[in-house]
Amino acid sequence: MSELFQETIIISILAATVRIATPLVLAALGELITERAGILNLGIEGTMLMSAFMAFVGTYVSGSFMVGILFAMLAGAFMSFIMVFMASTLKVEQVVTGLAMNMLAAGMSLYLYKAFLAGDTAGVFPTVDVMPTLTLPLLSDIPYVGPILFTQKALTYFAFLLVPMVWFFLYRTKWGLEIRCLGENPKVIDTKGMSVTARQYGAVIMGGVLVGLGGAFVTIGSVARFVPEITAGSGWLALVIVIAGNWRPMGIVMAALIFAFLNALQLHIQGVGVELPYQIFLALPYVMAIVLMVLKSGKGRSEEPARLAVPYFRGET
Amino acid sequence: MQPYLKVENVTKHFHQIVANDNVSFDVMPSEIHCLLGENGAGKSTIAQCIYGFYHPEEGTIYVKGEPVSLTSPAAAIAVGIGMVHQHFVLVESMSVLENIVIGTEAATPILDFKSAEAKIRTICEFYDVDIDLHAKIWQLPVGKQQWVEILKALFLNVRLLIMDEPTAVLTPQESKRLFQIFHEMTSDGMSIILISHKMDEVMQSDRVTVLRRGKNVGTVTTADTSKSELTNMMVGREVELHVKRDAHEHGGELLKIKGLRAKNDFGTEKLSSIDITVHRGEIVGIAGVAGNGQGELFETLMGVRKATAGSVILDGEDITNSSPSNVQKQGMGYIPDDRFSAGLVGDFDVQSNLILGAHREAPFARGGFLNFSKIKEFAGKAIDEFEIKTPSETTISRTLSGGNAQKVIVAREFAQASKVLLANQPSRGLDVAVIEYMHERILEKRRAEFGVLMASEELEELLSLCDRVLVMFKGRIMGDFPTEGAEIETIGLLMAGQDVAPKQPEPV
Amino acid sequence: MALTVEKRLTPSKKWMVLSIFIALGASAIVSAILLKFTGADVGMAYAALFDGAFGDTRAIGKTLIKATPIILTGIAVTVAFRAKIWNIGAEGQLFAGALASYWAYLLLGPGAGVYILPLIFLAGFIGGGLYGGLAGFLRSRFRINEVLTTVMLNYVIIFFMSFMLVSGPWRDPSSHFAQTPRIDKSVWLPKIMDGSKLHIGFLIAVVCAIAVYVMLTRSSLGYEIRAVGHNPRASKFKGINVGKTAILAMCISGGLAGLAGVTEVFGVAYRLKGEISHGYGFTGIIVAVLAVLNPLAVIFVAVFFGAFAVGGVVMQVATGVPSVITSAIEAIILLFFLAAGTLTHFQIVWKDKT
Repeated sequence: MSELFQETIIISILAATVRIATPLVLAALGELITERAGILNLGIEGTMLMSAFMAFVGTYVSGSFMVGILFAMLAGAFMSFIMVFMASTLKVEQVVTGLAMNMLAAGMSLYLYKAFLAGDTAGVFPTVDVMPTLTLPLLSDIPYVGPILFTQKALTYFAFLLVPMVWFFLYRTKWGLEIRCLGENPKVIDTKGMSVTARQYGAVIMGGVLVGLGGAFVTIGSVARFVPEITAGSGWLALVIVIAGNWRPMGIVMAALIFAFLNALQLHIQGVGVELPYQIFLALPYVMAIVLMVLKSGKGRSEEPARLAVPYFRGET
Repeated sequence: MQPYLKVENVTKHFHQIVANDNVSFDVMPSEIHCLLGENGAGKSTIAQCIYGFYHPEEGTIYVKGEPVSLTSPAAAIAVGIGMVHQHFVLVESMSVLENIVIGTEAATPILDFKSAEAKIRTICEFYDVDIDLHAKIWQLPVGKQQWVEILKALFLNVRLLIMDEPTAVLTPQESKRLFQIFHEMTSDGMSIILISHKMDEVMQSDRVTVLRRGKNVGTVTTADTSKSELTNMMVGREVELHVKRDAHEHGGELLKIKGLRAKNDFGTEKLSSIDITVHRGEIVGIAGVAGNGQGELFETLMGVRKATAGSVILDGEDITNSSPSNVQKQGMGYIPDDRFSAGLVGDFDVQSNLILGAHREAPFARGGFLNFSKIKEFAGKAIDEFEIKTPSETTISRTLSGGNAQKVIVAREFAQASKVLLANQPSRGLDVAVIEYMHERILEKRRAEFGVLMASEELEELLSLCDRVLVMFKGRIMGDFPTEGAEIETIGLLMAGQDVAPKQPEPV
Repeated sequence: MALTVEKRLTPSKKWMVLSIFIALGASAIVSAILLKFTGADVGMAYAALFDGAFGDTRAIGKTLIKATPIILTGIAVTVAFRAKIWNIGAEGQLFAGALASYWAYLLLGPGAGVYILPLIFLAGFIGGGLYGGLAGFLRSRFRINEVLTTVMLNYVIIFFMSFMLVSGPWRDPSSHFAQTPRIDKSVWLPKIMDGSKLHIGFLIAVVCAIAVYVMLTRSSLGYEIRAVGHNPRASKFKGINVGKTAILAMCISGGLAGLAGVTEVFGVAYRLKGEISHGYGFTGIIVAVLAVLNPLAVIFVAVFFGAFAVGGVVMQVATGVPSVITSAIEAIILLFFLAAGTLTHFQIVWKDKT
């Protein structure tokens, strides 16, 4: 157990934490924008999966990451387009729609994978090159902090830069003000003669693009191949992260790092040979999620959007 | 002088219902024009058409002589029409400034409220109103929240302001202040369309257009008419404005509330040491603007909200913090103010709602299973006795009108309660005919030695129905005196929180 | 002239039925496109699908075997959804029931044979019921979102099972796979149809569906579950204990899902392993929604889905189309159904704009 506290191990765990937090931060920020507009998108898991798959396909087919990332963003936008169409235009029950999206993505991604990519000879699985690490000059030489924070992939830097950007967007711009208004009281927007639907489409698709980026990281940012259920619940964790972060960008980053840390810990524990069954560590993030929600349930004023998941009808108070 | 607004032959349908039927009237500049009518007469609907929220099927609307196509509120605002809704349309968690600015040109891509703030301050100074622009809406009292709604319109330089039941949530003093502001607006050349059913206010307008069942029954100059004439036009017949309450000696103590305290959902204390006693055969009224703790009081009495201190004794039984089912068993019934939120299960049919609360016992259930024949029988009787207008007992309750929904609740509570009846705003949003009916039934219970405790914003109702009146303000009882000889002026002051020694009734 | 969407006063029954057919039709078209996309012969694929599900007694038996756990998870989800509790954890509750029933089997010993089956089922119901009740408790007590708790609990129990089966005490030492030894034949669920492997679990599932229907529509408890689902506030005022009712609904829901675990362990796989469920917990959600939360309708929809799953395998063998397309098609049917469902609640109106 004492091996765990060696310097190199600690640095490795923390660096892994930042890396693993990337898709969580991206997906959670995307869901934040969606939920602030009043729409609960439970289909994140499926959207991430589909985007992960499309990122893989894009990179495999073209050999370029940028194409993969583009495919992922389009997948994210498309999936969330369906979601907002169902939720905002058709005003269908959002919870069930989100679940249906997840099942659709799971089925479709596996189907398309098996149909097009799984090789004829069993055992030959297509692979792509993983995104390269972008070592920042000078910054990465800082002891301790350098290897942890500045030796990451480009998408990771982008994800963390996104945090203040999303904050600024939501709280200091006109569109952010309107989006927040949608989640609290869409009638305000409607009575001022602005389109509730149009704004919800904008917010949800924007969120979907970010979720797509998160999905991209799971494949081309981390591993060389695509396997079923590669997202392993990250989408669900992102939903919990939004709650645990109290619908604020800063809170979301904190919560994401906690989960990522647990995950990173689990990876390293296996290597170090601790006596506990490894399943405990696999289950830890999910148990932690429940614990975090329980802890948060008593504290402070929740910033949960007042009209979250409530479809808006004109003419009703 | 030409009218600022002219409504000509406007007709608006909702499904099969004709909400506005060939309605025409006009509004002059500097005029306070009242739209009077019962619930469902079409006042709100025509207002929403003028504001561009609804689109009429027929008719034309003219502003300053030109026909306008009001396809959305933005179009209405563009021609100087603004509206303050009855139920405020505000974002509670945002500030006053944000609520006013959102959606206007002052909301620049990168938000900067400085010039907007300056303009709003000027408007506030002009009308001599003091308000903190950075306060969040939920922190403000209701009267100030309404001012924010008005500011939203003034900020956009509207010249015609529609006010939908503005004084429903104000104390008499606040209402007076509001009308002062209205007069300042009209002397500035603005027009005001006032939707109201409160006769005292209606009489303060310049002209009144009376709507009945979607039609314009007539437009009269207020100075030339009277309350009873207007009521006549509104209802279509002679109406007894006050119920006749006979003298009735009340019995012993039935419901004794002492030192009751409770908090609201956010942890703020909403009931501060309430003392109320209701006797057998007595109707006690609670006057006060809604939101001063009436809802919390009833919730605490019914066991739905936790009492943090004090006691509630019903006919000798201590029911403080008892479960709602026990409170019911002990004989207390409740007619809540929001029918479809706290009173009925909208998706259930009428007969299921009639047995809500009694669904586990005989005769409606046996051995855990429902007895449908007995339920249907009871429903049939209730529908007859209370004249509930419904296609059948299996109709889904959500389709019932407000009045009939209230009747279902009343039928149910009258059947289940055996000692005390609580009622919160029982006549809100109901037709005169239904209100008359309700009052008669409540008086019946009084004759049957029930104790009745009711809260209402309609002082007239309380004065005519109750034996005693209490005033509730910010969770405190401000006064407690017999209705005989009570003065509205005094009650009004108490409702506004001003401590006034109650005037002793004149010796006969 | 403009098209506007208006809310109906009462949901249109006519459209409710029509929307099912619209959903099926639209899904059939989309699926055909998908199949064509991969170069398969659409006609042959559909034929194989049907044949595989209903072609002969064996096939029908297989369909009903597949339908059994889906009926159970379908009614499990129905009970919870009726209380407006979004139980996404039927999958986890199924495993909880499977674990509990297997444990009971170990405890009671195979010796008594068929007579311990009622106890086995009881154990499965209790296991699933406790696991569902846990989520219900967290919801009532702490007001946390049951969608997320049930999803998290799904993962947790799978890891627990992995522990028990991979390196833990229940592992079959003689096998490469993470599974228990085979269950003694005397405790296998009896077969009920010659010429197939259809077992008594199917009848139990149907009986449970009928029982749930009766409970929901005719009992006081069912009344309370529905009241709480429609309007918890009014229910509270009229003496219904909303928190307790919610937990009870979740216990029943989890218990029914747990029974699905029992039927799969003792009627199909004859051992405990991860593959006893092919996402039945999630299929149950789709089935419950398509059956508009009517337990009797669940039986039929579940049989349809069972047919789908069985037929899909045959289709894969016959045409090379990966059978996993059936889960995609199931999701598409659900989405079209939801979309078509708006027609029951809204109507499209031509309006003359003044």
